[in-house]
Amino acid sequence: MKRKIYTLVAVLAYCLTACTKLDIPPMNVIQDKDVFTSEGGIRIYMARAYSELPLEDFRYSQTRGLNFFWIISPPSANTGEALSRDLGSSTTETFNPAYWELGYRLIREMNYFMQTLPQYAKNFQDADVKHWLGEARFIRAVTYMALVKRYGGVPIVDKVLQYPDQKPEELKIPRASEEAVYDFIAADLDYAYNNMQATSVSGRANKYTAAAFKSRAMVYAGSIAKYNQVTLFDGSQQRLCGIPATKANTYFKAAYDAALLLEGKYSLYKKAWAAGDKQAQMQNYINMFFDAGSPENILIKGYHYPESVHGYDAYNVPRQLMGGNGYSAEVNPTLNFVEMFDGLPKNPDGTIQTLDASGKYIMYNNTMDLFANAEPRLRATVIVPGDEFKKEKIEIYRGIYTGDATNGISRLLPDGSTSNYPTANIVASPNGNQTPYKLPDGTLRNPAGKSGVFTADGTCAISGFTVRKYLVPDKPTAEVLENRADQTWIEMRYAEVLLNRAEAAYELYAAGQTGANYLQDAFNAVNQIRDRAGANLLATTADLNSINIVRNERRKELAFENKTWWDLKRWRIIDKEQNGTLYRVLMPFYVAQTGKYFFDARTDERNNRYTFDTRWYYQQIPADQISKSQNLVQNLGY
Amino acid sequence: MKRQLYLAGLCFALLLNNACSKKYDNYPEPDATLTGSITDLATGKPVQTEAGSNGARIRLDELSWSATPTPYYFYAMQDGTYRNTKIFSAKYRISVEGAFVPLIQYDGAGNITVDKSQTLDVKGSAKVDFKVEPFLNVDWVSDPVYNSADSTITVKVKFTRGNSNPSFQNNVTDVFLFVNATTYVGNNNYDNRYSNKISYGGTAGNSQIGQTITITTRDKLPGKRSYFIRVGARVDYGLKYYNYTDIKTVAVP
Repeated sequence: MKRKIYTLVAVLAYCLTACTKLDIPPMNVIQDKDVFTSEGGIRIYMARAYSELPLEDFRYSQTRGLNFFWIISPPSANTGEALSRDLGSSTTETFNPAYWELGYRLIREMNYFMQTLPQYAKNFQDADVKHWLGEARFIRAVTYMALVKRYGGVPIVDKVLQYPDQKPEELKIPRASEEAVYDFIAADLDYAYNNMQATSVSGRANKYTAAAFKSRAMVYAGSIAKYNQVTLFDGSQQRLCGIPATKANTYFKAAYDAALLLEGKYSLYKKAWAAGDKQAQMQNYINMFFDAGSPENILIKGYHYPESVHGYDAYNVPRQLMGGNGYSAEVNPTLNFVEMFDGLPKNPDGTIQTLDASGKYIMYNNTMDLFANAEPRLRATVIVPGDEFKKEKIEIYRGIYTGDATNGISRLLPDGSTSNYPTANIVASPNGNQTPYKLPDGTLRNPAGKSGVFTADGTCAISGFTVRKYLVPDKPTAEVLENRADQTWIEMRYAEVLLNRAEAAYELYAAGQTGANYLQDAFNAVNQIRDRAGANLLATTADLNSINIVRNERRKELAFENKTWWDLKRWRIIDKEQNGTLYRVLMPFYVAQTGKYFFDARTDERNNRYTFDTRWYYQQIPADQISKSQNLVQNLGY
Repeated sequence: MKRQLYLAGLCFALLLNNACSKKYDNYPEPDATLTGSITDLATGKPVQTEAGSNGARIRLDELSWSATPTPYYFYAMQDGTYRNTKIFSAKYRISVEGAFVPLIQYDGAGNITVDKSQTLDVKGSAKVDFKVEPFLNVDWVSDPVYNSADSTITVKVKFTRGNSNPSFQNNVTDVFLFVNATTYVGNNNYDNRYSNKISYGGTAGNSQIGQTITITTRDKLPGKRSYFIRVGARVDYGLKYYNYTDIKTVAVP
């Protein structure tokens, strides 16, 4: 018995030494010491942050959100750049949860990074630590930019908030003024510029990326100071919406100075460009979006099949090259957009010329003849009727005119009419299953082109045009599928920096600022863009007599890159452009009797009108966020 | 066994009896009524607006429990009156927002310089009228005319500044003839096939102040019915609400 007791005591005594410490971190959760002690750990932390970066890329639309796979109501159908069968009216962002919530998650991750990395700094070179701290500031600034452009002033959180350690009252941070948020962004980007290295791997920021984003942020702030008409104060003298007009020049100067920092570091892509050669200029412009070694790319977002993909080609390819999912032609550029470009026959009021002096339609042997002298950038951005894509002629015409054409053809509808086309003398196709029409010479011909226009089926070029920018020129149709595309998104390219510089410079010139020869500088920047595009150059600085010249250049150059909606909003002109507005389309017709084509310019046949609600200049703060923090003041009108 | 069942049933019934309090709610229901009108300070006429989210709205701050509550909004009717019969009896600060000089104004530093909001205890039924200065007065010059030749309606209107406050003399941006088949007509509700507008760039609209503006509907109006029409005009201030004429009915033969 005694022996048993001794044995038991001995065993128990031995057991006492079993545990040294019960309070150990969970082994299945990655700890700071795992992440912040190696370059690989930092890379993983940053990879996640970049994947959450609010870039409005192939996977964004106002109705669906960021990083969404199914983008069939494209952002360009909300700006007048394009028409889409799935988005037919103005909209603000309607996705849920709203960006507010997503933004503060990323801000918290960056604040955590900034607070934690210095504790592990001894593991790294000083220069690397400085670079990464700058990179975290850069990401935080881009995130605040995404918030301020949506909501105006937002709460500034520059450290990790602790819950439940901190009291709820301390966490209910009120909104800062819009001006303070832009200043905060500028300070973060200045810090990033001063601490980051000059080069970085593709897809990550360096000091010049920070400068480029600063030029963008500051030109936004400047235009809000100058053009905004909405004022909202909270109870403690913070101007949540709007920036004092007196600050406009300060911000435009900051944008201008930031853009200058990139001079000589990046350049416009001109690898295949040749002076006077329109074909080469067009090819160069197309290549720019697919050349990984482009000196123009400042920040890109890479995709790679099968891990990280989007569906841009599947949704936007011309109808006749439709892939297996049955999507096509979501983005159909409007005639309003096409008319901004050079090299088209135009009426004195700037609209496209389709009628001769006697009021009859001008006849063409080919639909491409109208675009024979078109600006190369237009054909690189938009597939015009009859142009070539993937070695195929993209056939777009609305119908066959079967009437008498001996004495020319008069307008099908009176000028400005929104009615349907008359059914007499016109045969058309409701969808892609066409019934051929027998021409007078006995041959058969489909009433509409292979890519449209069909009268009842929107999967075609409903505007008479279809988009080309960013469509991979050599992707086999078998691979034109959803979640199969992996071309790179270029978020920031040098052309935008030049345009920021031109806009800031012209605004400074218009405001009578004399720090530099601003007009000359704006003129040079616009002409650099136009030269590469193959557009007509401005002859003298006297020709640069309106901010609209700089703005239109921006709209042409950055079209379908999801920037225009924000530009139209910050210029505060979208409510004027979209006020019961019908966008215009260009409908080619084939004439049965003569075998020629004519074009009819008219308003959108669907009669979809766009009206921008002026409240949308400042989006609604999500109601669930106000329920959580009653210190948040709602924007006007909601 | 049976007895046990009865006992269990009795216990359950007792529990059920006590499960619910006999009170319906802890608080009185919203039994107060708030009515009133928004009238032009100069003319005394109601300020026409549109129904819904771009029209005039009444803002209530319930001060009974907080000095900075989350505001409660409701919208005025398009004739410039309002009525809400489901308001909690409480102390409110009441103001109104719309196409007129704001009741609460701030200077550049965010200090309140003008505050015409009203604070009162609402109990039972309360009537609160607001006298405001519209951005624009839009008035009919003559009755709308139906043109039988091309089945359109032509209107003649003029707009004038409704106030002389130098801070609210913004550019006039557009005049809009709204046509609809129901009496609810305005920027929120119009038939875009027939409605028509004149837009002004820059200061061009300001020279039209006081002038007779003639606008004709677009396209052909189908006959044998009545149309409801009104004209709106607005200035480039804030959320750019429209000021309106009253509604006229035109019978198209």
